[in-house]
This record gives sequence, C-alpha cells and structure tokens, in this order.
Amino acid sequence: MNTVAEPNYDLLAEQLNEIQSTTMAKVGEQDANYIRRVIVTQRILEWSGRILLVLGFVSPWLWLVGVLALATAKILDNMEIGHNVMHGQYDWMNDKHINSKAYEWDIACDGKSWNRVHNFEHHTYTNIIGKDRDFGYGLLRLSNDFRWRVKNLWQFITYLNLSVLFQWGVSYHELAAERVFFGKKKDNRDYKVPHSELKTRFFSKGARQLIKDYLIFPLLAGPFFLWVLVGNLIANLLRNLWTSTIIFCGHFTGDVKTFSEKECENETKGQWYYRQALGSSNIKGGKWFHILTGHLSFQIEHHLFPDMPAKRYREIAPKVQKVFREHGIQYNTGSFFKQYGSVVKRILRYSLP
Amino acid sequence: MAGYFEPVIQIFKPSWRDGYYRANVQSVTYIANKTVSIELKVESRWPTHKAGQHIELTIEINGRLVTRVFTIASSPNQAMHEGVIRLVIKQHDVGAFTPFLSRLTVNSWVNISKPKGTFLLPQSNAVTFFAAGSGITPFIAMLHQALHDEIPPIHLVYYAKPNEHLLVAELASLRNRLANFTFTLLSRSTDGDVAAKLPEFIGSQWLVCGPQDFYKTIKNYADTHQQSIESEHFSLVDLHTQGDEKAHFQVDHGGIKFTADNQQPLLAQFQANKINVPYGCGMGICHQCQCVKKKGVVRDIRNGKLSDYGEELIQLCVSQVVSDVEFKA
Repeated sequence: MNTVAEPNYDLLAEQLNEIQSTTMAKVGEQDANYIRRVIVTQRILEWSGRILLVLGFVSPWLWLVGVLALATAKILDNMEIGHNVMHGQYDWMNDKHINSKAYEWDIACDGKSWNRVHNFEHHTYTNIIGKDRDFGYGLLRLSNDFRWRVKNLWQFITYLNLSVLFQWGVSYHELAAERVFFGKKKDNRDYKVPHSELKTRFFSKGARQLIKDYLIFPLLAGPFFLWVLVGNLIANLLRNLWTSTIIFCGHFTGDVKTFSEKECENETKGQWYYRQALGSSNIKGGKWFHILTGHLSFQIEHHLFPDMPAKRYREIAPKVQKVFREHGIQYNTGSFFKQYGSVVKRILRYSLP
Repeated sequence: MAGYFEPVIQIFKPSWRDGYYRANVQSVTYIANKTVSIELKVESRWPTHKAGQHIELTIEINGRLVTRVFTIASSPNQAMHEGVIRLVIKQHDVGAFTPFLSRLTVNSWVNISKPKGTFLLPQSNAVTFFAAGSGITPFIAMLHQALHDEIPPIHLVYYAKPNEHLLVAELASLRNRLANFTFTLLSRSTDGDVAAKLPEFIGSQWLVCGPQDFYKTIKNYADTHQQSIESEHFSLVDLHTQGDEKAHFQVDHGGIKFTADNQQPLLAQFQANKINVPYGCGMGICHQCQCVKKKGVVRDIRNGKLSDYGEELIQLCVSQVVSDVEFKA
C-alpha cells in the first residue's frame, strides 16, 4: 500500500463499529416506511411510463415523458430498491418480499448470480487484484497490476460499449469469470454453482427481460408496437448509462487503490475497513441525486457497511469523514463531473503501457 | 406478482400482505393483571376456525414483522356470524412481542394466519379439561361453541395462582347455560398438585392445555393408567445465554438433524455435518449463507444480540445456537 502513515487499525475499527451500532440501533419503522414509499414511487413511475409510451400517438411529448418515467423507474428499481434490498439492508423487516432472498429486479442479470459476485466477491475482497473480479470487470486495464495488452489501446471504446450494454455485462459477468462458455477452465477454482445452472439462469432471466420489454409490452400496445419497443429500448439504454457511470465513479476514480492478495492475508477488521475506504469514492449531490444512485454516491459508507439501510449513509457520512480525517485516511469525494473526469482519465491512462 | 404490488395496495388497505389474512382491532381490554383480551374483526375470506384451534398473529413492531402463535378464545359461531374472534394473551415483562400488544389501537390492522391445529373437542361419553393459567383459552372457545352444538358432559379442572384464574365470570355464566358443564378452580398452593386430583377423572377423555410441567405431570399419570389424553402445551424455549460453558442443541435443517454447540459459528457446524449451504465471506457482510430460521434463538457473534423466536432470515457464519433451532432447507 502506497500511503504515508498507516492508521491505528484497532482504533479505526472501534470507531467505525461504533458508528455502525449507534446507527443500526436507530433503524426501524422510519426505514421500513421509506423503502415502501420508494417502491410505491417506482411502481407508479413504471406504470405511468408504460401507459404514456402508448399515448405517444396523441403527442410525441407524452411518449418522451413516458420514456423518462420508465427509465427513472428502472433506475430506482435497480439502484435504491434492488441493489440495496439484495444487500440485505432490509432483511430485519421480516417482510416476505422485501428481503435479499426474495427480491428480483428489473434487469437482465439474475439476482442470485449478482448476489454471489457482488455481495460476496466484490464486497469481501474489494479491489484485491485476482479476487475481486469487479476491478475492471476483466475487460479494462485500470492499474499497473495488470500487464498491458494491445487490446487496452482501444479500451475506452470497450468501456463505452460496456456502458451501453451494462445490464448484459452485469448479467454475463459471473459466467465470463467462471469461463462457462469460453476460455481455459482454472483447476484450482471452487465451483460453488454448477455451470449448467449458471447457464440456465442467465438465459432464462435474460430471455424474460427481452420478451417482456421487446415483445409482450409492444404487442399489448397493438398498432403502437414500435413506439413501445423503441421506448423500452431507450429506457433500458438510459438506465444502463446511468448505472454504469455511477458505479464507475464509485470505484475507478484516479485515487482508488488496489491491493494484493498477500497484503490482505489475515487482515483484521480495521485493515478491512481501511481497504474498503481506499477502494471507493463518493459523489457529491442533492437528495434526489443520492436516491437515484441508490445512495451509491456514498460508495465509501456503502463499502464500510454494506447491509446498513442506504438512506442512513447520508446521515453517517460526516461522522465517517471525521474519523478518516483523524487517521489521515483520504476521503475520496467530489462533484459528479470531477469524479467522472477522473474515471475517464484513468481508463485512458491505462490504455497505454 | 402480489408481492410486486404489495406496498401500493397497502396505501388503500393497510397491512395488506400477500400470504396473510388481515384483521382489524376492535378492542384491547385488560381482563386481569398483565392479561389482555383482543377482539379482532377478520376478513370474510378467512376460513372460520374450529374451537380449540390457534392462529399466528403478526404485528409490525418498529418496522419489523413479528409473529407469535395464540389460541382463539371465542367460538366459531361468533366468527361466522359477527366476523369477530378473541385472543386472550398473557403479557410478559420482557419480550419482543407481548409487551407491544398494549400499543395496539382500536381500528388498527394486524395480520393473522389461517386457523391451525388439531386440539379439538372429541366425540366421547365424558370429557375432562385440565387447564393451567392462560391454557384456559381453547376450552373457553369449546365451551362457547357448546352453546350451539351437542356436547358430552364436561368437567373443567382449572389451575392458576390464587385469584388469578382468568375469565371466571364467563365460566360461571357458561355453567349456568350449559346443562352438563361443571368446573373447579384450584391453586397449587392451597389445593396441592394436580397429580392428586387425577384419579377421580379416570375413564373420561382428557384434554390438557397448560405449561410443560403441568402437562408432563398429567401425561405421566395418564401413561401409567392407560388413560387417553390430548394436549396442547406451551414450553418456553430453553435458552442458554448465560456464561461461556459449552452446551449442545438440536439443529434441524429441513428434516436433517444434527447436534450443534454454542461455541462455533453455525456455518462451520453445518459444513462439519456435510450439509451443503451456500456461503461466502464468513464475516456477516455478504449474506450468502443466509437461511430461513423457522424457530429457535441464535446469537449474533458480532454483537451478542439474540434473535427472535419465530421465522426470520439469519446469517449462519455469524450465528451461534442458544436453543434448539429449526431451519427451512
């Protein structure tokens, strides 16, 4: 780790644990009502969006509003609801539907597959090269930990393609890493889920999404088949671009550090927190901006406490920042444009050897 | 799909939940010290109970759904004609459920399950009820229903602490209205143990409802005297939360049973017993090893907090058993 002075890890762990326990003690009715309210908003946006798409024949403006409503609905579903519920942030509610085992989101990626790669690998082994397959997603070279290859020259184009097709990238992620279709199988891997199941779930969830967005809903619109099909296509595209951008800003800004497996052996909780802190970055913004990012604009807080109801990140951020300052840990935050600029720079920088 | 729309439907129908029935609180009355009587108006699609059956009552406590089982203390006849059922519940001083019942307000909504259980009034020549404490509830339901049905001669032996017998006036009124029902109110401190009372009831059909000890006394006697007996007994979960000494408990994972200790995380013990469960980080972050606990209590290793008794999601890697536990496979 290329930092100046190492913090007192035990004290750091104690202070962060304290923030967690005092905040979790407050979690209750307010949080349950909040997530239900967000779900209601999402349902209303989704269905008004779908209806407005058909009303495009009255005025194209209605269609446009419909596209935006549907895109917003998909973003809310994927970020503030899906991502957070599937992290187990609301499991304490004991609700049969709002929990990490039951919730399935409106995206091509099978929830269970995402849960394994994201919740387990990415959140446990954050930015440990070789263990966190989210670092560059096996497509982009984002640090000198990876050998430069010719294909990295055009990785900015690869990045743009990934953003456009983000839901499929997320969906295919586990299968790519497990070499289900292509590439050499690694002998030493502990295959937790049979490849046949990975394939079935990939195709069935993917097909369900395709049929829903590009066949059933367009067919329901009868003569306005194309209006709805194109509307759904654009809504999915907007969602892909948004989620991809937010996630890149949370993980791949210039200052985000990487770690080797060796440095993380026998890691204490304090060291784990420290790695989470250096492996993520925040984005400043207003209340609605935070909600639309699923509070992943508080990526640092999310990585410290992945199963704390995300709305609480807003309230703990100043406390976390204060603790970081005491320990001389960089609290990586900035405006959307600053962070995004930094991401673009990083992708371009490592395109070259 | 119902789950998808659930929060929207709840705007119009509070506490509407997929897989549950809804009930409206009609009244919350204290009928004795720490004993609350709750009348619920059930929805019309609720399948009417048989006298002696119980329901799961689910209430939202600070955003969290908590469920407990209670016997219905009113007749099917009343449920059918008025749509009302009554629960009589003893409140505990500490606890995650009963203390909150006093906060229920009239006209608020709760959730209930369909009626369950096979503790029913048998067809027999003569029946003896043995009740202790709040174990009176199924018998009250049976006796109220008896006002509308043919019944065999019934005698009730009702144990409670002196002057703490519940619903005494109601029992007296039932005795006046039912030709072949009699009862005696007893207390162990003044009348001695139930064991001494048993011989005189040999030959009738016995129904027992009360705490574990009370049931065991009667059961032992019945077994040695070829006496037929039906029972509904409640045992407090045997918790082991004090001290660090090693203790062992039964774990049931969808029918596969093994013994676990209170020292290691459950995940390690599942693996040692070759039960395949998904797992991940081992530190309570990733929720991969999460299981549905159906009953029993576990302790969160990270903060020492005890779980609830009923059904909930728990993470095996950061949980230790402190009672017998049952999991959904």
